[in-house]
Amino acid sequence: MSLERPDTTDDAAIERTPDELEALLGDLVVKRDDHLNAPGFVIRPDTVQETLSILKEQAGYDHLSVVSAQEYENRYESIYHLKKFDDPTQEVSVVVPADKDDPVSESAEPVFRTADWHEREAYDLIGIEYDDHPDLRRILLPETWQGHPLSMDYDKDRPQIATLPEHANPLQEHYKDSESDTMFLNIGPHHPATHGVLHLKTVLDGEQVVDVEPDIGYLHRCEEQMAQAGTYRHQIMPYPDRWDYISAGLLNEWAYARAAEDLAEIEVPEYAQVIRTMGAEMCRIAAHMLALATFALDVNGDFTATFMYAINDRERVQDLLEDLTGQRLMFNYFRLGGVVWDLPEPREEFFSKTRDFLDQLPESVEEYHNLVTSNEIFQMRTIDTGVLPPDVAKDYGATGPVARGSGVDYDLRRDDPYGYYDELDWDVVTEEGCDNFSRLLVRMREVEESAKIIEQCVDLLEDWPEDERNIQANVPRTLRPDDDAEIYRAVEGAKGELGIYIRSDGTDKPGRFKIRSPCFSNLQTLPEMANGEYIPDVIAALGSLDIVLGEVDR
Amino acid sequence: MGTAPAQLFPEFLVDTFGLPGVLGEVVAALIAAAVVGNIVLAFTGVAGPWAKRKITAAFTDRIAVNRVGPFGLLIIPAAAVQLLAKELIVPEGVDRPSWDIAPVILPASALLGFSVIPMGRLGPINFHLADPEVGFALVFAFASIASVSLVMAGYASNNKYSLLGGLRAVAQNLAYEIPLIVTAMSVVIFAGTLQMSGIVGAQTTTLVTIAGIDIPAWYAFVNPFAFVLFVTANMAEVGRNPFDIPEAPTEIVGGYQTEYSSAYFVLFYLGEFVHIFLGGAIVAVTFLGGASGPGPESIGFIWFVVKIWGFFLFTQWARAAMPRVRIDQLIEIGWKGMLVLSFANLVLTAVIVGVIA
Repeated sequence: MSLERPDTTDDAAIERTPDELEALLGDLVVKRDDHLNAPGFVIRPDTVQETLSILKEQAGYDHLSVVSAQEYENRYESIYHLKKFDDPTQEVSVVVPADKDDPVSESAEPVFRTADWHEREAYDLIGIEYDDHPDLRRILLPETWQGHPLSMDYDKDRPQIATLPEHANPLQEHYKDSESDTMFLNIGPHHPATHGVLHLKTVLDGEQVVDVEPDIGYLHRCEEQMAQAGTYRHQIMPYPDRWDYISAGLLNEWAYARAAEDLAEIEVPEYAQVIRTMGAEMCRIAAHMLALATFALDVNGDFTATFMYAINDRERVQDLLEDLTGQRLMFNYFRLGGVVWDLPEPREEFFSKTRDFLDQLPESVEEYHNLVTSNEIFQMRTIDTGVLPPDVAKDYGATGPVARGSGVDYDLRRDDPYGYYDELDWDVVTEEGCDNFSRLLVRMREVEESAKIIEQCVDLLEDWPEDERNIQANVPRTLRPDDDAEIYRAVEGAKGELGIYIRSDGTDKPGRFKIRSPCFSNLQTLPEMANGEYIPDVIAALGSLDIVLGEVDR
Repeated sequence: MGTAPAQLFPEFLVDTFGLPGVLGEVVAALIAAAVVGNIVLAFTGVAGPWAKRKITAAFTDRIAVNRVGPFGLLIIPAAAVQLLAKELIVPEGVDRPSWDIAPVILPASALLGFSVIPMGRLGPINFHLADPEVGFALVFAFASIASVSLVMAGYASNNKYSLLGGLRAVAQNLAYEIPLIVTAMSVVIFAGTLQMSGIVGAQTTTLVTIAGIDIPAWYAFVNPFAFVLFVTANMAEVGRNPFDIPEAPTEIVGGYQTEYSSAYFVLFYLGEFVHIFLGGAIVAVTFLGGASGPGPESIGFIWFVVKIWGFFLFTQWARAAMPRVRIDQLIEIGWKGMLVLSFANLVLTAVIVGVIA
């Protein structure tokens, strides 16, 4: 047992056993509370910052994936799920219980910037108060909301009044002194470029952005609570389709499937894994095509050829997905332990259709490069705008194409393999530019990688022996995972790391169901990219983040 | 060729119908102006609800309007009824009457520009309302009144997006009007006159003959560099992609026209289209030989229409394919690029013309 570790970050990459970590944390650990995915350490609510900075600086846990909060009979609890960007299979959970009567816990925001929004959400929905938090306000619900919906004593029947005051004009005080001359501008919630109902509170100095604050929650649909009210076996699976509804449905379904299958120890047949992998990558192409289309729309500013061409290509994938799943958007195709049905008959027709699509894809991508990325005006607009340095991206928990556009080599499909990905030959795409252009380029190159994956899957499926086509494992009709088992599992969604935290309570429904939305964390970086830039660059940066409000607000 | 100055449209009316005295001239002028104005408005009527959609659809692999009448053409009256039937919403706190005047100024200024444009002959009629000696200067003066309208609308709307749009419009027009006019001056040096008929007339000679085909001395062929400069500046002047930043739908919603609805919105829309056509007309007169083209002079009007629709098509192409530049980049291109180039062009032209002539 090595009790004393040197205070350097050189050994950050070293994998430590749970016991070594406990030794590193020393007296901070009150007790162990291991989760299925990671060792868990219970600490006192006033030592959060100390614990997290030791784990971040000395043990290399530099990725605060999510903060999940919940209320028990006798306490509140916040769980900080930590990972490493270098190796996300090394996980650790920091469990912070808070007093039932006075739920106060120290904020992790000074250690991880991303904790800002996550803790605000925990405060909003559960009611835990975070000490030392810079800006502890409600985030999803209106300011006037009474009670915390996911807490135990929440009165659902209590009428709520969401007032609509004329917007308070923040031109007063700190934005306006005798020197400066700024203007406050509401961008959204209804604005052509907010990709849904997002509200950006923007302070402008001329055309330049002094400050921008995203205001979210307009599309909050209580997805977590709805999942908690559904049974594991069938009733939860339709919901993930509605988080990132930009045809990334299968990717989302996989997030739930992965967490629940690991929780209930279900083995998925290999054949079903190949189908899942293929379907998921089709969804990724569809989602990235739409990202390209809307980004072109944001930068070109008018109805453009690029937009329609990309929608056209997305339509082809959509047709394939429709053949596969029977649905165009809300697929509901995955089941725990497999998929709902096999490939459509006749199989040859589906394969040839898929191959036709893959064959014409390089041509399309070439056309986009001609139309978009090689256009001088486009380059002028996107290169070196919306800059997000890699360390900032990590601090905010940015993942997916946003992180990879900043050169963060992080992709769960490779780093924390699931499905059939580790059997296939493909590459993780990164770009070093850190700007709007890089993020777009990452998506366009990922489309090509996805096509490679699909092609290999089609090859495999074509030759799969007929009597081994097992699409579904044996799963009990009613799933009742062990009481108080906790798991956090993530997959690489279209926008990044889409994670699910489930705590079972011995029934057939989850005791706590928490969604880690990649868009939620990615959107948090917007002020970092936007401040000091021009309005058009803010719009471009927002477009390059490729957020879906359904996933941000859940 | 080189013909004597053709009879203007009002004079033609006076002669044909024998209208006597000053009153007759006034009546003839009004009738002629009404005819020309309605022709231009008819263009915009076709362009706005129908041609623009069809053109954009062609660029983006779609079909667009095809259900209402043959080729969807009846969408034009349908759109007219629909747009005019909408409620005119007047937001609180708008600065009237400037809020009401702005949508009138835009189409009016553009239509005024057509008063000096020689649009060519169709049969006995020469579609040319007036031919003052300073016609060329006048047309730019008229065209630039448009920015007054945009600023008025932006300021009077009491909306921050509108204000931004209005400010952008001023910045853009300042940055591009100067290169536009400086480039136009190089043409004046060639032609030696500011009179529209003179500029067109100077382009009727043959530049070279290649394989039996006479290439006319259109200034687009004489000085292609100035032509490119002029067309670019003109795109900015009429506020089309990649220079559509006063509207910039994805950034500032609709710019100066954010708060306008119903008839006022139609007026703005109309004004923009007339402005595009005026831009096309200026390009045609200045660089493309006005109404000249193959065939007899009496079908010149058709060539002219083809040319301004060609310019319209070009703007729509740019709209479908080109990203929009940012405001600071736009200003930079205008002041640091276009202005310098246009002055270089002017000086060079002056030197060459001075040496040769």
